[in-house]
Amino acid sequence: MIPFAVRRLAAAVATAWVASLLAFFMFWTVPNVDPSYFLGGERHGTDFTRAQAREKWGLDDPLPTQYVRLMGDILSGDLKCFYGCASLREAFVEALPVTVSLVAGAGFIAVGLGVWLALICVRHRGRWPDRAITALASAAYSVPSIVLAALLWAFVATKWQLLPAEGYVRLTDNPYEWARHLILPWTAAALPFAGAYVQVVRASLLSAVDEDWVRTARAKGLPERKVIRRHVLRNGLIPPVNIWGLDFSHAFGGFALYVEVIFGLPGVGLLTADTVGNFDLPPIVALAVYLAIVVVFTSALVDIAVAWLDPRIRRARPSS
Amino acid sequence: MGPWALAFRRLRHDRAALVFGSLSLLILLALLAAPLYASEVAHTTPVENHLSDRIVIDGRPTYVLSLDGFPIGPTWEGSYFLGADENGRDLMVRLLYGARASLAVGAGAVLLSLLLAVPLALVAGFRRGRTDAVISRLFDLLWSFPALLTGVLLSTSLTLHGVDVGPFQIGSGSKLIPILVIGLVYVPYIARPLRGQVLALREQPFVDAARASGMRPAAVMASELVPHLWTTLLVLSTLLLVNAVALEVALSFLGAGINPPEPSLGTLIDSGLDRKDIIFSPHLLLAPCIALVLIILALSGLAEGLRRALDPHRTLADFQVHGR
Repeated sequence: MIPFAVRRLAAAVATAWVASLLAFFMFWTVPNVDPSYFLGGERHGTDFTRAQAREKWGLDDPLPTQYVRLMGDILSGDLKCFYGCASLREAFVEALPVTVSLVAGAGFIAVGLGVWLALICVRHRGRWPDRAITALASAAYSVPSIVLAALLWAFVATKWQLLPAEGYVRLTDNPYEWARHLILPWTAAALPFAGAYVQVVRASLLSAVDEDWVRTARAKGLPERKVIRRHVLRNGLIPPVNIWGLDFSHAFGGFALYVEVIFGLPGVGLLTADTVGNFDLPPIVALAVYLAIVVVFTSALVDIAVAWLDPRIRRARPSS
Repeated sequence: MGPWALAFRRLRHDRAALVFGSLSLLILLALLAAPLYASEVAHTTPVENHLSDRIVIDGRPTYVLSLDGFPIGPTWEGSYFLGADENGRDLMVRLLYGARASLAVGAGAVLLSLLLAVPLALVAGFRRGRTDAVISRLFDLLWSFPALLTGVLLSTSLTLHGVDVGPFQIGSGSKLIPILVIGLVYVPYIARPLRGQVLALREQPFVDAARASGMRPAAVMASELVPHLWTTLLVLSTLLLVNAVALEVALSFLGAGINPPEPSLGTLIDSGLDRKDIIFSPHLLLAPCIALVLIILALSGLAEGLRRALDPHRTLADFQVHGR
């Protein structure tokens, strides 16, 4: 277990490093960057002001020097924006718990709902509850969470004012208000995923139902409830767990962005949207690096958790 | 009976696939006819403002924008069928053009993904070894980052400065930027399952035979492997199209896709999310939301139908694109 975790974390560090390199090349060198045009003043400035800007920002230094300097600034939290910005690292650290609340809650709802409904499907396989739930699940999967979030915000929160339309309250300050502010974002983010998970888990459980050991369990007289819990669920949940892990780490840079924008949740998604709207390159690189770290380490932690649950994975080589 | 004929027969007996297929076709025709609708029925363009126009409803002249600035709701008639927006623009026309732009970007992105992914997957799966390791690491890396985030960051930095890499020059604000961004981001989603298939195919006797008869690797790939991949490609690209459209909508919503005033479903949803619009003109939000759900429902129903028809053994059943 420990060697697997160490290997997986080492792979995560390597991935984060490569991601920082890629972020540097993609956002700093490839896109025709000559920031001196923007920094030189009005109408691209004069040759003199541009030369001054190049000097000040060190844009003529060799790329490795620029890379080291930029990453040093980003990681030390002492980022120098072209147009001036507050400390992005502190803002990011402050925003992270909001997004973690959103993503974890939505993930919990999506997985819980998905497994629960899939179990009902499996228990009544081929009969009407199965068919109704499967149809409902694919319908839920077809409503993108951006539409769901927009409609819930517009009607439930703004028009009928049943729940708060924006803002966030810390869990430690007031758990009830925390949940009230997050119910709609959770619903919007979770439902499409729940729809997808019902189908994935159902298919996986159905293939587990036909295994020999399940037949043996039934033959030895185990009640159906126990058969499903002990023999079907434990094996049938292994493939979906990997999908959940990927979705969970992706959520930080996926639905979190627009759900937080729509509901005005001050998380990393809103921070990203705001930063990107300012059209300033250094903070874009910085956010790419911060979010890469979050995504890469979340998926590493999820993998380690999965390996802890399923010993067979521990022996396999970890993939990136 | 060939495999295509069999697949066609399965498709013909699949009622759900037929319904969603015809719905997709209907939507496609409507979107193709958008300019015709704009000029012949609505007599306007998607970006033309009508701040002080009057139209006749029930024999009475009515301002498109009321004196308080509220746009009229759906008239269910030729002009302003779905009502107007805050600039007096015809919402139906904007919706048709917006959906057209979203779908065009999605389709272009899928095409680009295919163009990049197929050769990479063929080379990786066929040559194996070090080539495969390098290419697969690259896929894994791109795969491990959320598509939307990569898209937003990439699109912003490209929009900021345009693209100027060798022969490729794209101005900022071009529709090619979202196509490029989405196309790049989705490469591993096609290439990974494809590489797996190539790995399995290359062990088949007919590939050995082709190589033993002295065919060069490129020729083996083109004439022996590719014909076996058509069904996979068709299924994968329709599934991916749904997600590419959804991603375009999210990108445009966040201001990193198609730029206003040109409509896209994402910018339409964004402009419908105005506090005063929700109370007085909910059609501005409802129309693009319903249109997007219809498009996604139709396309994913068609994609699932194609999967059932072309992939009866469910080898592609695990394929799922994340980040909707």
